[in-house]
Amino acid sequence: MRKTLTYIGERVLLVFVSVIVLFPIVWMFLTAFKQSRDAYSLSLNFQPTLQNFVTVFSEPWNLGSMVLNSVIVATVTVAIAVPCATLAAYSFSRFRVKARKFLFFLILSTQFIPAVVIVLPFFLMFRQLDMLDTRLALIIVNLAIVTPFVIWMIKGFIDAIPTDSEEAAMIDGASRLRVIKDIVLPVAAPGIMTSSIFCFILTWNEFLFALILSRRDAVTLPVGLVSFRTEQGDLWELMSAAGVMITVPIFIMALFIQKHFTRGMTAGAVK
Amino acid sequence: MAEVRLVDIEKKYGNFLAVPQQSLTIEDGEFLVLLGPSGCGKTTTMRMIAGLEDITSGDIMIKGERVNDKPPKDRDIAMVFQNYGLYPHMTVRQNIEYPLKLRGVAKAERRKRVEETAAKVELDALLERRPSELSGGQRQRVALARAIVRTPSIFLMDEPLSNLDAKLRVTMRAELKHLHHELGVTTVYVTHDQMEAMTLANRVAVMREGRIVQLDTPKKIYAEPADLFVAGFIGSPSMNLIDGSIKGGVFRAEGVEVPVSLADRDGVVLGIRPEELEIASERAAFGGKLYALELTGDSTLVTLRAGKTSVCARGHADFEAEIDAPCHFAPKAGARFHLFDRASGERLD
Repeated sequence: MRKTLTYIGERVLLVFVSVIVLFPIVWMFLTAFKQSRDAYSLSLNFQPTLQNFVTVFSEPWNLGSMVLNSVIVATVTVAIAVPCATLAAYSFSRFRVKARKFLFFLILSTQFIPAVVIVLPFFLMFRQLDMLDTRLALIIVNLAIVTPFVIWMIKGFIDAIPTDSEEAAMIDGASRLRVIKDIVLPVAAPGIMTSSIFCFILTWNEFLFALILSRRDAVTLPVGLVSFRTEQGDLWELMSAAGVMITVPIFIMALFIQKHFTRGMTAGAVK
Repeated sequence: MAEVRLVDIEKKYGNFLAVPQQSLTIEDGEFLVLLGPSGCGKTTTMRMIAGLEDITSGDIMIKGERVNDKPPKDRDIAMVFQNYGLYPHMTVRQNIEYPLKLRGVAKAERRKRVEETAAKVELDALLERRPSELSGGQRQRVALARAIVRTPSIFLMDEPLSNLDAKLRVTMRAELKHLHHELGVTTVYVTHDQMEAMTLANRVAVMREGRIVQLDTPKKIYAEPADLFVAGFIGSPSMNLIDGSIKGGVFRAEGVEVPVSLADRDGVVLGIRPEELEIASERAAFGGKLYALELTGDSTLVTLRAGKTSVCARGHADFEAEIDAPCHFAPKAGARFHLFDRASGERLD
């Protein structure tokens, strides 16, 4: 009897939490297909339309250029951060250099500083360099934000690889770089892939720096969402359509993460 | 000539002296075993030869050439690791092929040599499998095949059999011995298993706290251990070591009286191997009460106790007696007694 009650209690709690978590997402997806007159209604009985998606990509919203900005900023950030972070993580994991722990802590400590504290210095610096409202400025800022995080994450995956295989490869005739290419990267690939996706998501969703450092040309999707708050009120159906555009790539990546994360956890050399 | 010479090598980790200054020469084609308990510095010594560990001072010479500053890949060595060190993302074929690929051997030649080597260690049917799909013994064979595929000048083996079950270990031991006979490559082998050392080695270097305490043939080490540590470490069951003193040309301990040719002194340890004792029917050199009987199959290990003294003899398989019954052991004809100083462990005779 007690077991049954516990079972029912657990299920009720799970359903409750799921509803709380999923409701805003479901609401956003439904609203994206609603006409403006239905936007505030919770009824599921409405005439679906794709017009909102057409509207957000046309004047004056121009979501297309924001999508392009977001894609370029996130992709270039990942393309630079992940290889650099992988080499750094490998060094932190394998080389016994002096003050290694302190250096690692120093890199991680950059994550402890609230973004809002450093946004102004960044703004002043880029204004001085005449780089405001450029994708390059956003890429630089995002690199500073995600690289320490990715180093920390990839180091965890590399730590889990026994050094025997690497030493065996060195004796077999491989240089250190060849060992990284032939042994470490393939074995740590699921972990590196997971880190890359996390890195992409962080950059894709970054809002504060993009808001302060961009005005017109380099505006990214999260900042673009704010423009749907107009003098005529909040255009929820358009904001939802843009929200779907932001969310779908992340959903697809989350599916990848699940697959790779499991592989990342189970990978590693043979004992 | 693939002679390996360690000249006054020393290894320190910060202030910790892992391997104190010492020298060792491994002859061309020799099978040398570094034997000792965990943490005695044997693996560190091997890793220094491999180039996986820097040496603090001294020189390592391979084939007459100083290799201190050469990376592992340029020392012409192959190594088998305790955990095999296989490449988990590669098939057995790719694992064996990898050293050849790194040395730029042509594809057709690589294929031929991989197949020949795989056949030698009976892996030919498993070439397309990944290491995770293999048993411990098969993984061990892959590691061996990868080491022998390019015929290096020196083999280094770091406890390669320690992860295998007892039966497989015996089989693999014989295979290693045969392989060494067939290839004749200079081999350095690290183990803490004295049975492996005795069966495989041309010479054994027994190590303790980083130092080589005895370097000799297995036969000599067994027959004439250099000190108390070696005496207790070599042999299974291990040598009986009995604390006592010498008075009037007789070694005395509780239940033990053995004539010896040394001057009177206290703090002496008498050593005798269980297989050099036989069970006597009447009062003999070793006397006490029967403490334990352990049947090993081909023989019975009989242990007697007299006060603090405990002595073990290897008796006939069908020997039977009551526990606590009076029991006597006599040395067999030609039995060798060993005498050591209790404090220093040094051999006295």
